[in-house]
Amino acid sequence: MILLLRRIWAFVVRDWRVQISYRMQFFLRVLSILIIVTTLFFISKIFPGSADPRFVQWHDPLPAWLTGLAVLNYFMTGFSSLANAIRQEQVQGTLESVLMTPIGVPTVIVASSAWDFVQATLFSSLYLLFGWLFFDVHYRGSFLLALLFLVLTTVVLSCLGILSASFAMVFKRGDPFGVFLGTGSALFSGVFFPTQLISQYAGEGVAKVSRILPPTYGLDGIRRVLIEGQGFAEVREPLVVLLIFLAVLLPLSLWVFNRAVRRAKREGSLIQY
Amino acid sequence: MVESKSTPVAIAVDRLCQTYPVSFLRLKKLLRRKFKPPVEALRGVSFDIREGEIFGLIGPNGAGKTTLTKIIATLIQPTSGRVAVKGHDTVSDDQSVRRNVGLAGAEERSFYWRLTAEQNLLFFARLHGLGNRNAQRRLAELFELLDLQEVARRRFAELSTGNKQRLAVARALLAAPPVLLLDEPTRSLDPIAAARMRLTIKSLSQTDNSTIFLTSHNLPEVEELCDRVAVISKGEIRALDTPQNLRAMHTAEERVAIRFAGLSPAEAEQVISKSFGPHSLLIEVGSRPDESVIKFTRALNDELLDRILRVLQNAGAVVRAVETERATLLDVLESYEQN
Repeated sequence: MILLLRRIWAFVVRDWRVQISYRMQFFLRVLSILIIVTTLFFISKIFPGSADPRFVQWHDPLPAWLTGLAVLNYFMTGFSSLANAIRQEQVQGTLESVLMTPIGVPTVIVASSAWDFVQATLFSSLYLLFGWLFFDVHYRGSFLLALLFLVLTTVVLSCLGILSASFAMVFKRGDPFGVFLGTGSALFSGVFFPTQLISQYAGEGVAKVSRILPPTYGLDGIRRVLIEGQGFAEVREPLVVLLIFLAVLLPLSLWVFNRAVRRAKREGSLIQY
Repeated sequence: MVESKSTPVAIAVDRLCQTYPVSFLRLKKLLRRKFKPPVEALRGVSFDIREGEIFGLIGPNGAGKTTLTKIIATLIQPTSGRVAVKGHDTVSDDQSVRRNVGLAGAEERSFYWRLTAEQNLLFFARLHGLGNRNAQRRLAELFELLDLQEVARRRFAELSTGNKQRLAVARALLAAPPVLLLDEPTRSLDPIAAARMRLTIKSLSQTDNSTIFLTSHNLPEVEELCDRVAVISKGEIRALDTPQNLRAMHTAEERVAIRFAGLSPAEAEQVISKSFGPHSLLIEVGSRPDESVIKFTRALNDELLDRILRVLQNAGAVVRAVETERATLLDVLESYEQN
């Protein structure tokens, strides 16, 4: 276990060093988050308190948007960083030398994406921090419970990320999960507007899409906790749905991943992109 | 280093075949799409490499050298057959194999260009499980061994091609593996650096008893370094022996030129004819005004050279040089390619 952590730490240090060799990029990202939060603050002032009473989380849209963006950023990292880790090492040409060390392919993938999670944690926190610091946004409820939702949803999305990494290994490019989750989550998971509006304006059929996306339940749970101040008993339903996703996706993704590694090694295409 | 049958086997390759399959063959057949036939990269390759041996693999491009190296390095799974490194199977026990093997390829892109040479090696040292103190100590040793101290703090992108090559060898040596796979280790080095690298390789084999599997297109280097050489062509091992025996198998003769002074070509012709009768020796004027040359071909280790030298010296000639030219590994390689 210590050896595994040491190896993960080696990847984090490596990526941190590469990151600080591009200092400008980091500061521009921080600045862009501040600009986005400021813009959302002014947009939220167009319709203060005019939200439909059905949408409790949206009475003041600013906290809903900030939690939505912060959490979406984290979820997308969970989903995409695993496939990106493999792809980036393949493109750089470093995968072969990493695979020549005595660590398994799953460890390489998890460790390669560790820095992405560190970054996502930082940038997601910045959305919430800037809202609280400059625009008087307050959060209620248990942060621990919100964290549980965050971790659980991220793990579920990481399972989809493992499936995505399997596609990257075999097909190299053209990943169906990326298209579905990348564009789908922002539209159907309630990041910018309540999901109930989808059934009202687009029909019940389209609204079903939001129900099969794990981020919908994660985001709903986190907002119920942080904005509505709900406790464990009240958020059991989205929690159970996320656990069901996990029970199905975890074994499936590991099985597909093992098959993909075996196939790529047989074809000699593991390091190609 | 001379190997004996009692020396333990470091790498065992047994009836190894590698065929690169056609991707999505069934789908392509179903859709009646055209597809290229599967590529047979290796066909029934078998050999053993003993501990401490320097083993060379030569062959033209596309012969199967890279595939074989990558199978030994666990990066590719063979279609059939088996490779064991220090007794560990490359498929079922690949992590143990990687603990025993270091690979230095000729690919520059295998490093992180934004990191320094030191940061790159530290990263790989940690993946090998080395703690900070051990890693720093090992890095210092390797930087000294490969003369990289001055560039240790430079970004990889700023290193010369030769230094990048040496850094690749340093990385392969990080965990002091008993087996080294070297793919053209002197490809981009200047002559002095290449000679130093060859000395390093030799000393690794002699002092550390490392087993070295070396692929190269530099045939004189292979002859100089390797205890045994395998010739691979179209996925098959065509010959495997010491460089000397491979040359001898190819041709049992050598060309000889004796340069001497004190006798003109006519005088030399006279004394040679007197001693040998009718002969096929070519006697001509040398490159210097007072020099003559006798050229002939002889069977290896016969007494003709000794007899000619005696005749010439007895007639008052001063022998300045004896040049011999035997078949090289290039001749061996070309002959297998032509067949």
